Amino acid sequence: MSTSDGWLAAALVPLLALVPVLWRIAYGSPKDRLIGQNLTSLLAGLVLLLAARGFHRTSYNDVALVVSVLGPTGTLIYARFLDVLPDSRLVRWTALAGVPATVLPLCVATGPGRAMVKLLLIGALLIAGSVVTSGRGGKGGVTA
Amino acid sequence: MTDVLIVVALLLVAGAATAAVLNRDPVRQALVLSFLGLTLALLFTFLQAPDVALSQLAVGSAVTPLMILLTVRKVRRRPGSGGDGADKPAGRER
Repeated sequence: MSTSDGWLAAALVPLLALVPVLWRIAYGSPKDRLIGQNLTSLLAGLVLLLAARGFHRTSYNDVALVVSVLGPTGTLIYARFLDVLPDSRLVRWTALAGVPATVLPLCVATGPGRAMVKLLLIGALLIAGSVVTSGRGGKGGVTA
Repeated sequence: MTDVLIVVALLLVAGAATAAVLNRDPVRQALVLSFLGLTLALLFTFLQAPDVALSQLAVGSAVTPLMILLTVRKVRRRPGSGGDGADKPAGRER
């Protein structure tokens, strides 16, 4: 098993984590569905970062960058329409644990340079977006 | 290894599309559709087509669900404003 296969195998982990998220989105309450939407964009960003490394295509990181910007924006839009912005410990801890655990090995493998700065930027955007949309600093329960 | 990723992404797309069809509430469908858009973008990336994935992300995960939500809001508010007003909160409920 080569190293690129290792990265792709690592990408399989957040990808498989999307299966229970799909279940919650399809059958959950409005609150669960919003948390699921938030978690989906976070996990998809991680999958894209790992897959870009596994395919040896640094330019694929652009897709992850777009996800990290569009995901939290979409969550906030849905929060506006569904009138609920739940604070979710699951999303927060997935972001705080999963993103560094993904981005830091990728940075080590990439080495210093522009690509690493971009990786760090994507990681920071993913964490910031998830913390903003899942934080208790929001109104916790119902928002206007 | 790439094949495994593609198969898992394909299964996710199939599951999400089936869930979108089986859900009857349009607002719920919008959220499932945004999930479907994201998984499709993942699938396109695994198939080495990141440019398609980018446009799929913009259209599938952001614009289409937003248009559905706006439409549902507009359609539900109309009878409420003309009727007894009880439908008005229902439009914002979900």
